[in-house]
Amino acid sequence: MKYIKQLFVTAAIALFTTACDKDETGIDTEYPVIDANAPGTFPVQCSTVKRGEKFTFKAAFSDNMALGSYSLDIHHNFDHHTHSTEVSDCSTDPVKKPVNPFLLIKTFDIPESQKAYAAIQEIEVPADIDPGDYHFMIRLTDKEGWQTLRGISIKIQ
Amino acid sequence: MILLFALPAKLVGQTLSGKVVSSTGQPLTGATITLMPEKIALPSDVNGTFRFEAVKKGRHSLRISFVGYKTFASLFIMSSDSLLLKDIILRAEEGQLQEITIKEDYQQLRRQQVSLSMEIVGADYLRRNLGGSLMQSLEKLPGIKTIGIGSGGSKPLIRGLGFNQVVVVENGIRHEGQQWCADHALEIDQFAAGRVEVIKGPSAFLYGSEAIGGAVDIKPAVLPAGHTAGGSADLMAKSNNGLYGGSVNLYARKQRVFADARMTWQEYGDYRVPADTMYVYDYAVPLHENRLRNTAGQERNVHLRTGWLTSQFQSVFYLSHTFSQSGFFANAHGLEPRRVDLDLHDRSSRDMQLPFQQVSHTKIISQSEFRYGQNRFDMELGYQRNFRQEHSQYVNHGYMPPVYPSEQSAPETLERAYDKTVFSANFKNELTYKNHTLTIGTSGEQQRNTIGGWGFLIPAFTQTSAGAFILDKFKVNEKLLLQGALRYDLGRIHIREYNDWFTSQSESGNSTYLTRAEAITRTFKNVNWSAGLNYTPGKFFLKVNAGSSFRMPIAKELAANGINYHYFRYEKGDPSLSAEKSYQLDLGTGINAEKFTAELTPFLNYFPNYIYLNPTARHDYFYGAGNQVFNYAQSRVLRYGSELQLTYRFLSNWNASLAGEYLYTRQLSGAKRGYALPFSPPASALAGITYKPNWDKLLTDAYFTLDCRLTARQNRIVPPERPTPAYQVFSFSAGGKVKTGAQYISVSLQVQNTWNTRYLSHTSFYRLIGLPEAGRNVILAVKIPFVIKGKSTS
Repeated sequence: MKYIKQLFVTAAIALFTTACDKDETGIDTEYPVIDANAPGTFPVQCSTVKRGEKFTFKAAFSDNMALGSYSLDIHHNFDHHTHSTEVSDCSTDPVKKPVNPFLLIKTFDIPESQKAYAAIQEIEVPADIDPGDYHFMIRLTDKEGWQTLRGISIKIQ
Repeated sequence: MILLFALPAKLVGQTLSGKVVSSTGQPLTGATITLMPEKIALPSDVNGTFRFEAVKKGRHSLRISFVGYKTFASLFIMSSDSLLLKDIILRAEEGQLQEITIKEDYQQLRRQQVSLSMEIVGADYLRRNLGGSLMQSLEKLPGIKTIGIGSGGSKPLIRGLGFNQVVVVENGIRHEGQQWCADHALEIDQFAAGRVEVIKGPSAFLYGSEAIGGAVDIKPAVLPAGHTAGGSADLMAKSNNGLYGGSVNLYARKQRVFADARMTWQEYGDYRVPADTMYVYDYAVPLHENRLRNTAGQERNVHLRTGWLTSQFQSVFYLSHTFSQSGFFANAHGLEPRRVDLDLHDRSSRDMQLPFQQVSHTKIISQSEFRYGQNRFDMELGYQRNFRQEHSQYVNHGYMPPVYPSEQSAPETLERAYDKTVFSANFKNELTYKNHTLTIGTSGEQQRNTIGGWGFLIPAFTQTSAGAFILDKFKVNEKLLLQGALRYDLGRIHIREYNDWFTSQSESGNSTYLTRAEAITRTFKNVNWSAGLNYTPGKFFLKVNAGSSFRMPIAKELAANGINYHYFRYEKGDPSLSAEKSYQLDLGTGINAEKFTAELTPFLNYFPNYIYLNPTARHDYFYGAGNQVFNYAQSRVLRYGSELQLTYRFLSNWNASLAGEYLYTRQLSGAKRGYALPFSPPASALAGITYKPNWDKLLTDAYFTLDCRLTARQNRIVPPERPTPAYQVFSFSAGGKVKTGAQYISVSLQVQNTWNTRYLSHTSFYRLIGLPEAGRNVILAVKIPFVIKGKSTS
């Protein structure tokens, strides 16, 4: 009995000591960060932009090693099917059918080996698009391919 | 087949003798008793007795077969004295009446014939450990995990390899579903399985392409005994998701003709987790009554089996149809947070709203076996059709039109449909000559795949493959078995072109219908080999095996060029990929003593060109509609690990066991050099203690088991995975057989996740959005056999 107990304990120890690896050095396991609270960030959850006008997208990106690229996507959420990634909800217009909704897809490179990057892009909102609830999606990668998503609810007036 | 160690009762003279009786003590006349390795066969006489003269010293085995009874085998050692064996009790083959218990000794014998690491379980084990699906019922076996997708479905993961790297075989024919797809389960009815063998290692020499990680071979239930008719009813209920269901079986057999039918049905509600709120990113999702919204489902299966049986020829025909429908968690479609109509969803926990999936799988299989002289010829012919539909609300991702066009032929809620038709054929001849058992075989498969729906992930394709193999088992002596195999495979995949049904906008502002998949044809050839030895000098055993395996790239890996909105990624195939190859060295060593068993099965595995979906730093504007680019690429990969199993019987009624597993994976080249492979299960151990009281009058074969699953954290991850913390989960099970009249009713009770622990499984489809695993679940399963005609076996 004693022998068996010892054997079990030894086996368990053997299994778990080999199991707990030394953490790999030089391997990036961290996601890049889109700082929601950086000063000047626009748009933020529930921001409003106007048709026929330009607005400036501003965001602060950072990563522990090196940033990769980012993409922006504005699409309608008239049917309220999807939710933003944010905590708070914004007041929404009634559900409606899209006629000529605004769609913007743009991808941008980030200069190599940047640990921090301030993204600034001027975005023009056409005058003839449907006003209403939209989603503003930011996708950010780092050099190793970790991706952080941020979906913000905005309103176009 | 049951194998028991026959114990010498009395020692007299210079001969070997014994008596064959039925379980009621009646002597059996005409049973065939074969003495091995001499291969001398004798029939038992009117009194059931037999006698072999001048038996040499040393290890021998006896094989006793009799129509309608389970074949019995025993091992014994002949000393200079003669031997009178204890009465040999043959059990009737009516598996449905008495439980088909796969004795550990049988497992040992079977394992001793295979130099790869292997696990074998019977229907009884499956009922005692009944999970939401066949694979979940096998999860206690070391080295075997599942890729879970909620309460019902799951896919096998053998030593961290799954999807198209594991072959599933049912009734001799490869099961072909949508293996590549993460949120799709295996369409197998666990009640129809008689025995399951899991081979943990490269087994391409037996199964062909894709058996790179291992194989799950599901054998049918044993055939009914001659001149009997009867059946059984399985009933089950689960507390966590309010599941109830059953499986009813009826059978009848004359001497040579038999028929067997089974119907399985189950229905379940949304499953519960130990959490009232969960977070999809920062968006808080309240869970009504701790239930994961819209994870209810149902399953309906029908099986028919009929055949002709003689001692020389046997032919069995199977027809089966499985159908399942299950909801997907409504608050997130993959990684995308979804707003849901709470009134609609929370009205009932048993209804299914969008999104949901529907899968039907039909099979027709003919299995024949013909014995002549020292040969056995096997033929398997199969047809199967897998039809899967994924329904969800139309969401115009990327450049898709904001309103779903009414002129589209696919319904608005049909996101994806996959229709697969497969024809398969296997031929095999086994020849026993002196100490050699030589098997020569060939197999072929033809697949046709079409797609439907408004979402695109993989193109339509046809695939043809054929292989031929030769396998020799050479019994050097009673202790040493050598085996070697060689196989040649040839495969061709033809991918059809796919164009978007909507236009995308290039940066210059032009609108075009994008070609998502180009038409390509690729041919792959591969030679694989395997060599191994089994050395069993006594209680100790040693297995060594080295072998190669391969896998033809699948349509998705060669030709994907679409966006997977479940993960917000643009997956790009590579038409120039080579066939994935793997080399593995397996060891197995241990002790089988009466009170104590130990088994250690380490392995070392190398892939020169593992096919890996590599997340890059780029986003693609045009084809990817702004999503992150994931490229299929090949890299060198090293994997090693081991399983350890210990059992110890003490105080005659108690049994302690430990089953541990460890796996290390590392990419040695490519963009993710130094990283692990995705879905690598963390180290874990299952420690259990069982009490088996001798309550033969009250409850036969009673057992009470307390298990603890200890799982280490998993920090070896690769994008887009997240580290998964360690956890420990307890489970309790108990059961036995109650005798009513001449039959035994089996009862088994399980309390899974006894303390309602909140934990995450690293290999769950929903791990990425942090969905906890199911909470406490009380499972009750009862099997009631009944006889219409014929004798009871008890």
